[in-house]
Amino acid sequence: MTFLAPLFLLGGLAVALPIVFHLIRRTTRERKVFSSVMFLGPSPPRLTRRSRLEHLLLLLLRCLVLCLLAVGFSRPLFKRPVINENTSSARRVILLVDKSASMRRANLWTDALDKTRALLTKTSAADEVALFTFDQQVQQVVGFEQWAARPSGERAGFVMHQLGNVSPGWSGTHLGNALTSAAEALGDTKGKTAMGAREIFLVSDMQQGSALDQLQGYEWPKGVKVNVVDLKAKSPNNASVQLLEEAEGETKPGIRVRVSSSADSKQEKYLIGWAQADSANFAAKPAEVYVPAGQSRVISMDPLTNGLSASRIVLKGDDEEFDNSVHVAAPEQGYEQVLYLGTDREDDPHQPFYFLKRAFQNTRREAVQVSMVGPDKPLTDEEVSKTALIVVSGKLSEQKAQAVQAAARNGTSVVLVLDQTNAVPNATGILGVESFKAEEATVKNYAMLTDIDFRHPLFAVFADPKFSDFTKVHFWKYRNFDAATVPGAHVLARFDNGDPAVAEVPLGKGRVYLFASGWQPEDSQLALSTKFVPLMCAMLESAGSGAPRVTQYFVGDTLPIPSALPVKLHNPEGADLTLAAGQTNFNATMSPGIYTVISEGGAQLARYAVNLAASESRTAPLPGDELERLGVPMGHPIASPDKTSRRELHLQNTELESRQKLWRWVLIGAVGALLFETWLAGRTARSVTVSS
Amino acid sequence: MSAVAPKAPELESGSLIDPRTLMSIRNLELRARVVVEGFWNGLHRSPYHGFSVEFTEYRQYSPGDDPRYLDWRVFARSDRYFIKKFEDETNLRCYLLADGSRSMSYSSIGYTKAQYAATLAATLGYFLYLQGDAVGLLTFDESIREFLPARHRTGHLRHLMLALEKPVAGKATNLGAPLQRILEIVRKRSLLVLISDFLAPIERLEQNLLALAAAGHEIAVFQILDPAELSFNFENAIMFEDVESGRTLFVDPMAARKEYLERLEAHCGALRAVCERLGAAFHRLSTAQPLEIALFDFLRQRIQRSKGTRRFARQHSRGGASK
Repeated sequence: MTFLAPLFLLGGLAVALPIVFHLIRRTTRERKVFSSVMFLGPSPPRLTRRSRLEHLLLLLLRCLVLCLLAVGFSRPLFKRPVINENTSSARRVILLVDKSASMRRANLWTDALDKTRALLTKTSAADEVALFTFDQQVQQVVGFEQWAARPSGERAGFVMHQLGNVSPGWSGTHLGNALTSAAEALGDTKGKTAMGAREIFLVSDMQQGSALDQLQGYEWPKGVKVNVVDLKAKSPNNASVQLLEEAEGETKPGIRVRVSSSADSKQEKYLIGWAQADSANFAAKPAEVYVPAGQSRVISMDPLTNGLSASRIVLKGDDEEFDNSVHVAAPEQGYEQVLYLGTDREDDPHQPFYFLKRAFQNTRREAVQVSMVGPDKPLTDEEVSKTALIVVSGKLSEQKAQAVQAAARNGTSVVLVLDQTNAVPNATGILGVESFKAEEATVKNYAMLTDIDFRHPLFAVFADPKFSDFTKVHFWKYRNFDAATVPGAHVLARFDNGDPAVAEVPLGKGRVYLFASGWQPEDSQLALSTKFVPLMCAMLESAGSGAPRVTQYFVGDTLPIPSALPVKLHNPEGADLTLAAGQTNFNATMSPGIYTVISEGGAQLARYAVNLAASESRTAPLPGDELERLGVPMGHPIASPDKTSRRELHLQNTELESRQKLWRWVLIGAVGALLFETWLAGRTARSVTVSS
Repeated sequence: MSAVAPKAPELESGSLIDPRTLMSIRNLELRARVVVEGFWNGLHRSPYHGFSVEFTEYRQYSPGDDPRYLDWRVFARSDRYFIKKFEDETNLRCYLLADGSRSMSYSSIGYTKAQYAATLAATLGYFLYLQGDAVGLLTFDESIREFLPARHRTGHLRHLMLALEKPVAGKATNLGAPLQRILEIVRKRSLLVLISDFLAPIERLEQNLLALAAAGHEIAVFQILDPAELSFNFENAIMFEDVESGRTLFVDPMAARKEYLERLEAHCGALRAVCERLGAAFHRLSTAQPLEIALFDFLRQRIQRSKGTRRFARQHSRGGASK
């Protein structure tokens, strides 16, 4: 016999009460008339000696009632051997072990090995077991076939040996991908009929940074259950540092980083600073930063002075080191060239060039050089090949027109500003359209832009209603042309009388923009409006330059190789990898650090900072029911084997007890004993009264 | 003429009447008679010879004595002149003061202390009446219930017996009031026999008795107690209820007996000490004791006191002559 609530048995100690009460001489209600009580003092109830215990049967009955009550409340049950329905058939089990970067925390990987070993010991010879590990990708370490090929006594050792060769990496946790992959592997029975249970044992720290998107709407194979073996880190104190993109318009040199504290962290005070090249020590005096649990702070790190250089920022003060450093590749300034083909004077504010030159400002990320090529200056191929945007204002020679056309076909954007003199020859020379005609339009007062295609990249920047008002940009003069005569022309904006104002003509890899009016004040107010600079920048970007530069990559990302020639790639581990000619990508970014692409001649072509994914630093555990909420069919949450067995035992006991309901009989016995006691006590009292 | 000095009588224990038997006689006067007659029979010598409450003395005649007091019978027998001397010219007046409070109604042996006290009072009254003394009665509880002046006439004894037979009706014991009342009423020197259980505070008793003694009264005190009160031999722990005040108290006799007996003895000792200081005779009687013993003790003590008084008187008279 066992008890469901054995603590209630302590209530049996109450049997001491009736024993004590029986030892105490009862205060009688019987009275004796005496002549005077002046010589008497009140007597306290006194304990009789044990040998003078009276009414032993009554005492026994009272003790019995109390004992029965205690036993009844502790809910007794008779144990019977429980037949496990699943033991008869073999299970198909996948052990899915997390090896993401967050598993690098102090005790997690050893815990994961221990838990996996414990799970393996519970498998039977008939079970089919496979071992998968996962981070961003899912790797099969031991397959069902390998398991089946081994003698049953060696299987667990083999799996553990294979798992011993694995160590936590630096990648993020794509838990959703891992679970669906494992579920599909379980579901794929290769034509066999699955007889037993199919289970996934997920050995993971279940961090909040796990990517679970893939579980949304995923239809689970029937009969597959997921059992979570939750790993708990010894210390919840974790803070991380992440590199942020450079703020728009930032002119000061410096790096912005975000320091985040885990939601369950107990620490608030951290130190952050540049690290020495070959150690984790600070290269200069670190800054103090206070980050409460679950919050983050953005810090601007000034570049090192006094000739020091560093490419790593480290954070100190928390208990977990794996996400405490961020690598920084010094951003290189881009260079773009804009050619202006015209006859303007550089300092004439009535000419387009004057405004074009001032439209592009140099930033830390990019330097734009606007240069004018006069009618007398020849246009070299080398110059054209470096140019991202060519603005044609004056009349071009045939040779130049062909060069511009060739540049456009190679991907350069060309802006053709039409005027009375150059419209036809330029359009004919560049676009190759013979029938192109353009006439000076008659404008009453002014013309405005309407019917603008804000979906086009050129005007997309103005798509927001706050910026889409072009009515204040007046045009005094423009050239009317027939866009229909230009094959492939797409009118991006029209004047208010319906004449085309801006048209795009694709040409090879590039495109030609036809502007019906100039932006100089003589033709329009465009150059003086706020729309001009964004419009020019959009045209430059449409040529493929000026795109936002990637500051950092994450582990597992693909790095672009900026050369078609054979290059070497120097990775953070110190190895030089040779990349074949024509390889445009490198995707084996297995660890964080600086990846350098070096040409065969030894010149540094690119320098990439690869960092840990920010999501890996969100180490606080997921809510317990998160997987269930996403529709994952859960088995029993397995915190620890002992705990599990205890819980199962308790559940079995509860069920047995609810079937047997012995407490009812015990309580009936108690009531019976109580009734007998009452009768006996009454009888005893009567007999005492009669005798007295 | 030789003086016939009365000798102290001795009581034969075998002739004593069991109080339980005595109390089975319903008539109080008969009870008193039985005791007194039995008492006489139990004595070795006849009490009719020279035994009196008021002792007489013979002394040889000397010139100057009043010839009226010559005892001619003695002269006839012995041919000598003897003068018959009296302590008092008049007969003895005795007042029996009987406590009728509710505590006297306690009984553990079949009859109450009040019955025993009434029998004692009746016995004494009968005895004195036979001697020709005037006997009065005063019953009291917290106040005076009955009062009969001391007389010696026909029918007085019957009145006295009837008054004593009245059942106990009082509640508390107040010794002060009857003594005060006696002091006011009884002007002549008397013998006051105070019969009570004295189960009440006795702080003011001494003062009252002192006033009576100062008035020339002779005092005899009988304390009547039940055997259960004297031994307190109860066994079961029980609620004890005071018969007078109604106060209840849970008492375990096993634990309380020692203290009770000590306090009772202290109380009785204090009462005895008061009596001794005032020259009053003190007798403590258990209701289980034969009444003859009480009567015997009473008379013996009176004899001793008479001796003492005579000795005291002689010493004073000689001392006065020498002066």
